[in-house]
Amino acid sequence: MRLLSWPSVTQLLLAPLVIASASEYNDYSENLLLKSLPGNSLLASFRFVSNGTFDSHHSVFPRSLAQILQQSQTKELHLKFTLGRWDAEQWGRQVWDGRTAGGTGVELWAWVDAADDAEADARWTTLNNALSGLFCASLNFIDSTRTIRPVMSFQPAGHHSPEGLERLHLLHGTLPREPVCTENLTPFLKLLPCKGKAGISSLLDGHRLFDAQWQSMSIDVKPVCEEDGKCQLQMEQTKPYAGGDSCFPLSGVTDLPWSLSEMFGRPIRGSCPLAVVPTEEATHVCVNIAEQRSIFVSQGSEERKKSPELRCFILHENIDFDIVLPELSPSTNLLPTTPPVYASRSLTGHGQERGGIQAVLNNPSSNSTVEFVYLESLPWFMKPYLHTLSATISGKDDRNIIQDIYYRPALDRKRGTQLEVRLRVPPGETVLLNYEFDKAVLRYTEYPPDANRGFDIAPAVISILDPASQKSTFSIRTTSLLLSLPTPDFSMPYNVIILTSTVMALAFGSIFNILVRRFVGADEVIGGGLVSKIRGHIMAFAAKRGRAGGDKPKTE
Amino acid sequence: MKLPLALFTLLSCGALAQHTSNWAVLVSTSRFWFNYRHLANVLSMYRTVKRLGIPDSQIILMLSDDIACNPRNAFPGTVYNNADRALDLYGDNIEVDYRGYEVTVENFIRLLTDRVEPDTPRSKRLLTDDRSNIFIYMTGHGGNEFLKFQDAEEISAFDIADAFEQMWEKKRYHEMLFMIDTCQANTMYSKFYSKNILATGSSKLDESSYSHHADNDVGVAVIDRYTYYNLEFLENNVQSASSKHTMKDLFDSYETEKIHSTPGVRTDLFKRDLKDVLITDFFGNVQNVEIDGEDEQKWKEDVLQLSKLAVDFTMPGRKNGTCASAKASVETSAPAVKKVGAVRVEGNKGWSRNAMGVGALLACAAAWVAGSALS
Repeated sequence: MRLLSWPSVTQLLLAPLVIASASEYNDYSENLLLKSLPGNSLLASFRFVSNGTFDSHHSVFPRSLAQILQQSQTKELHLKFTLGRWDAEQWGRQVWDGRTAGGTGVELWAWVDAADDAEADARWTTLNNALSGLFCASLNFIDSTRTIRPVMSFQPAGHHSPEGLERLHLLHGTLPREPVCTENLTPFLKLLPCKGKAGISSLLDGHRLFDAQWQSMSIDVKPVCEEDGKCQLQMEQTKPYAGGDSCFPLSGVTDLPWSLSEMFGRPIRGSCPLAVVPTEEATHVCVNIAEQRSIFVSQGSEERKKSPELRCFILHENIDFDIVLPELSPSTNLLPTTPPVYASRSLTGHGQERGGIQAVLNNPSSNSTVEFVYLESLPWFMKPYLHTLSATISGKDDRNIIQDIYYRPALDRKRGTQLEVRLRVPPGETVLLNYEFDKAVLRYTEYPPDANRGFDIAPAVISILDPASQKSTFSIRTTSLLLSLPTPDFSMPYNVIILTSTVMALAFGSIFNILVRRFVGADEVIGGGLVSKIRGHIMAFAAKRGRAGGDKPKTE
Repeated sequence: MKLPLALFTLLSCGALAQHTSNWAVLVSTSRFWFNYRHLANVLSMYRTVKRLGIPDSQIILMLSDDIACNPRNAFPGTVYNNADRALDLYGDNIEVDYRGYEVTVENFIRLLTDRVEPDTPRSKRLLTDDRSNIFIYMTGHGGNEFLKFQDAEEISAFDIADAFEQMWEKKRYHEMLFMIDTCQANTMYSKFYSKNILATGSSKLDESSYSHHADNDVGVAVIDRYTYYNLEFLENNVQSASSKHTMKDLFDSYETEKIHSTPGVRTDLFKRDLKDVLITDFFGNVQNVEIDGEDEQKWKEDVLQLSKLAVDFTMPGRKNGTCASAKASVETSAPAVKKVGAVRVEGNKGWSRNAMGVGALLACAAAWVAGSALS
């Protein structure tokens, strides 16, 4: 009953893990940020950080993942599972600068150490296959047609030596159709030292998480080096979750009451004993809500007030922890923070032969220009025309908007299109980025079983650049698109076979008859019935025979 | 020479008629939401074999569509096999090995015969040997001697029979239980010709298999009749892995009136008497250990080698020997090769390029004029 009034709640689960390759970094910490969002939504952002080494037996860093990284020579890995749409206009900017959320479905990019491209591709395949086994996802479908090598959009987040960097190959793959479900959450929890049995990870229950409006689960592994040359590898994993419908009549008028056990189906089961001892800075749970809202927590926890709007708590190891917020009227929601860019993308045109894509990119800032890279990874059967690419501001084509273009055209059945455009949008302006494309006709066997549903096109990745360093500081994903291709009627081959057989039978039969039969008038036929016919034949034959026999002696 | 050897093998087989591991391959072959019941069938079997002790690493679960997190599912992350919704089959801990478009005839046969790509992870392989008992359960839409996969392709009874024969030749199983719930299911095992296969199906030739009941909130049928009554027997009688119920008890429990079709059992390939075959021989997990040979020294050496391998694999930093150092030196010395990738698109800024183009055109025109003048 309560849940129905709860639906408009957003939860973001953010779970990063850090591995270190020096034993002194062998530690683990976790924290949860609960943030009230406009529209009676709640963002729950879980963060798990593990430091470990490859050669330690008792590392909190999961060995299963470490082995995969070693086997495929992957130095830095970013794997994201995302479901739903982040409503930037209502909820504002994403936490952690959008780094921990991927595009709809599965998105994976990695820096692989290899001497040349062929070796990088081979290791990338190894990595994808191994991860598909570990995370129960069809990551093995990321083949050469779904892999791109972005130039401007991504920079390594970890520390790599300059010589090492020379040998690193960045590969990026997407699976926009991939569902995210409990079987993906199970291995995620198994990577954590407390396996979801204690600590904040005990809230991660598939039944509640997959009822969200938006959720993302990310695993980021990167090496982090000290000045003395000792390095650690960091992995970050996010799963954002937003639940419910917004047709609640009082939405926006009152702040609805909520509690952890109501939202997640259970309270937090103490703190994880394997995590580092919390400090003033690193607390277990933080709640970011308006100052006026009262908050009740279960006993055994210590409160640390960091600011009027941010209240944090340190959990007791063996005592369940719950947070209860009563209803408050009128609504006291915090103002949403503005993201650097609002982006949306849609298909234009009609028919099954060609189409177009339009991206609407709005800079909400009133005083600063924003510069960003727009990255598209298109399947091979969608063939864009680069000469049709245009960027317009209020109907006028402006040559100064597009700063730079990197492009790699598709090859049929071998690779997809990669398009990276660096754009500069003046304050308060909206840019329309357009291009046209042709739709290829697939072979009969290349269609998926549910071809009439359409083909998912991966979300565009927008990386906001820092004007000074030209490095990506924030990233945004558009939604995925559903492209309908000319789809045959799959029963057509049977129809064709049946029709052809019929035509063959009719044509062959009649022509054969005409060729081999002699047609005579009904009155020319001797006798009436079959018996008389046969008799007639025999008599005629006998007469012929007799005549022939009589003639014989004469000729000899 | 050959005859005594064969005789010996035969005798030793008789003496060691035990299996040392249990595996399960559970396949649902139907796509789309309205085939919810086929996924529920498979997940019910998954839950049963897991309950009786087969670990996830020895269960190959093939789910052809996403039902639990389907937008149409009113109960996200949940699959039920009964309208009372007492038991969530999806649970908190599930490992799906092949899902969605990965469930194809090709992948299924590759899995059985272990003819897979070199990069295939362990969780997607059937790593059985000649001491493994395998339980294969399939469900979907089928017909006379075929079963549809994903509404797009079919596997025929001959394909499965040949795959099983290949498994037998490669010593990939000890005994096998093949169970299938589909229309005209009994035709699917009619072509088997390999040894030690016990097969059962839900309906005979020209008979449909039916669903048991629907859940009005889920909106579709939640389980098939044959699977339902199998589960009923297993839930009520086989409470733990130490159960002494036999396959005969299970097969005797089948009633045509309840199932609404004629379930079939094929035993001619199976050499043991069904009275002696425990249900847990296929649905449960045994951990019999088979020690061959008296030589104690040999297995101690093997264990030592294995532990060395394990150390090398888990601690590459401590690798000893030339192999590791050679590899490391290769890694550092190899020069980076120019990477292929997207190419920067230049605008029409270069006048020189335009001039070159015009020049080339003029040169062609001049050559043509000169040629025509000379002729």
